[in-house]
Amino acid sequence: MTFAVPFFAWAAAGAALATVALHLLAWRRPPETPLPTARFAPERPVRMVSRAVRPTDLGLLALRVVLVMLVGVALAGPVLAPRRAGTPRVIVVDRSRSAGSGAEVTAAARDAFRTGDAVVVFDTTAREVVAPTLDSIATTSPSQGAGSLSAALVLGSRIAQRLARNRDSVVIVLVSPVTTDELDAATAPVRRTWPGALQLVRAGAAPNDTASPAIPQVRAGAGDPVGVALALGGPLAGGRSVRVVRDGVTASDSAWARAGNAVVTWPVATPAEWSRRAAVDTAFAVATVGPGAATVVAPFIRVAEPPTGRVVARWSDGDPAVTETALGGGCIRSVTVAPPSIGDLALTPAFRRFVERLAAPCGDARQLRPASDSVLSQLLPATIAVDGTGPVAVEATDSPQRRLVAWLLGLALAAAVVEMFVRRGGSHAAV
Amino acid sequence: MRDRREAERPEIETRGSLLDAIRGVKWPALRAVAGALPGAHHSRLRGAAPELSEYRVYRQGDDPKRIDWRLLARSDRAYIRLAEDRSIVSTLIVVDATASMAYPPRTLAKWRAACDLAIGLAAVAHASRDPVGLIVVAGGGVHQLPARTRRGIVGEISRALDGVTPAGKAPLASALAGVRHRWRVAIVSDFLGDADDVRRRAGEVAAAGGEVHAIHIVADEELDPPGRSMLAVDPEDPSIARPLVADVRAVYQERFAAWRAELATAWRGEGLSYTLARVSEPASRVVRRVASRALGGGRDAALHARSEGR
Repeated sequence: MTFAVPFFAWAAAGAALATVALHLLAWRRPPETPLPTARFAPERPVRMVSRAVRPTDLGLLALRVVLVMLVGVALAGPVLAPRRAGTPRVIVVDRSRSAGSGAEVTAAARDAFRTGDAVVVFDTTAREVVAPTLDSIATTSPSQGAGSLSAALVLGSRIAQRLARNRDSVVIVLVSPVTTDELDAATAPVRRTWPGALQLVRAGAAPNDTASPAIPQVRAGAGDPVGVALALGGPLAGGRSVRVVRDGVTASDSAWARAGNAVVTWPVATPAEWSRRAAVDTAFAVATVGPGAATVVAPFIRVAEPPTGRVVARWSDGDPAVTETALGGGCIRSVTVAPPSIGDLALTPAFRRFVERLAAPCGDARQLRPASDSVLSQLLPATIAVDGTGPVAVEATDSPQRRLVAWLLGLALAAAVVEMFVRRGGSHAAV
Repeated sequence: MRDRREAERPEIETRGSLLDAIRGVKWPALRAVAGALPGAHHSRLRGAAPELSEYRVYRQGDDPKRIDWRLLARSDRAYIRLAEDRSIVSTLIVVDATASMAYPPRTLAKWRAACDLAIGLAAVAHASRDPVGLIVVAGGGVHQLPARTRRGIVGEISRALDGVTPAGKAPLASALAGVRHRWRVAIVSDFLGDADDVRRRAGEVAAAGGEVHAIHIVADEELDPPGRSMLAVDPEDPSIARPLVADVRAVYQERFAAWRAELATAWRGEGLSYTLARVSEPASRVVRRVASRALGGGRDAALHARSEGR
């Protein structure tokens, strides 16, 4: 057993010795002895200090020593299990789509990693990396799934509590851009289940970077309805990372997409590599998938089917109209919706909203906005940014040490009560 | 400590050995007595004893039988023969049997020493054919044996003392209230009670022609208390409870010695006899010292008297 503050244990030992000494030098009434000539002794107080060779009231002495030692040991902060030095950390690495290509997150995780740390990677789910090394962090591949900080914190807290059994303190290091879609209602309660420190390393996105609005790049001919709709819509969030091509995807487009950008291929003519529908038909509506769906009601001639991928928009009969496939850190979004070349459909607000949704960054990046610091301070309390001065120590509210201290103080209180009764009983007996 | 002291006593006398040790000891009266009955003490009266003391011219009223007729025939003058007369002196032994005499509580050595002294003095007085009486003053009352000359009076005194257990508190001076003038009184006590009243009454007895001997019994434990710390409690007055520890022992002994010296000075100042008797001292030796006072005191008595104040 070790002590967090050994001074109190030593002080208690000293106090116990002083208690024993006081028992030896107790004020006591000497034994009465008849002496006819007692009148010739000088008058003194009957009680006097006399050194007892054998301490009296051994039970009372033992109670007092136990009382003092219990209080001292409780204040010293006993730790039953021997603690190893150092502060192990649980590195929680974001591998969701919020991390983009994951390069920055990986680099930050490698910087934070030290031998002996535990590593948790997460996207929609979280898992612990067995025997993590620097290389194992680098080899974890990014996912296009949405990130769940709650799941990551649940697993991270469990691992941290496991490590805290034989360590003085454990810090959870969260390496993530922490976008808004990674936060949910369970994030704050889950965070509170871990009383220790949580260090936040925001990588992959600049904090509070609102993705300055811009008009996406459009490669189309003059008077193209898509180009017109985008032009009318004005700047879009994350627009700089979106390129809309109406002709065909080139090599440079692919490279640009691999860099983490979105290429929206919205060909005027159906590419040869796209499969054609069994029969050309007409759909009378198309709508984007997900919250805030944009719907356009108009007759659309359906000729081809988009490549297999994440469905971004569907026809009114449920067939996919727009899909998105990952390419490196970015994506290519394939649109099979052919707007009519005549008419004013391109000028309608519904079509503009539809185009804007399709011209969103990869993974619907408009939902991947980095969470603001004020939101983080509410949902993830007792955390500091990597630019801060160090981990924030959150005092554990329920630990074996605290329970032991509570037990010791309870026993001390009981000993004090018993001592009071024993002392009173002794004094009554003496009277 | 107490056992060691008892073991260091030079001798322990039984009653028989005590009586043997004091056989032949004379305890003459301090001054000529005025008794009429013939005895061993010089009488102030000039009688017709065979031992001629002096001649005196016959005066009217003298007994004609005491005229020395032969001297009258030779000198034609009438003289009467005067002779030293001897008389008895009634002796009263007053023994203090209050609680302070029951010390040490385990052995009652102080009380036993007082009894031995009383018996020894009674035996010496009885050997001179003096009437001997006893008064025992205890808390339970006063036990009294009238002065008698009869043969077994010493045994009676011994049995009377053996039947008394010292306890309680009683004024010793009241026992002297009934003492007749011209008696010899021996007070065996520790004088821790009404010492002033006793001395005052003894002075009155002495002024009336009597003779008073104070035998002051002191236990060795009183002179040199045990070294351990204790709360000394007066057995006659429990309200007197004083801690007796190492640093006050010297003060205690100094005060006790001063009181003893003051007591001896006061008694002797009034012409009374004072003898300090330690419990560890053989009773026969103390009896001899008391008796020697009447003889003017020997060298040992004088030396002892000087040391009594210490």
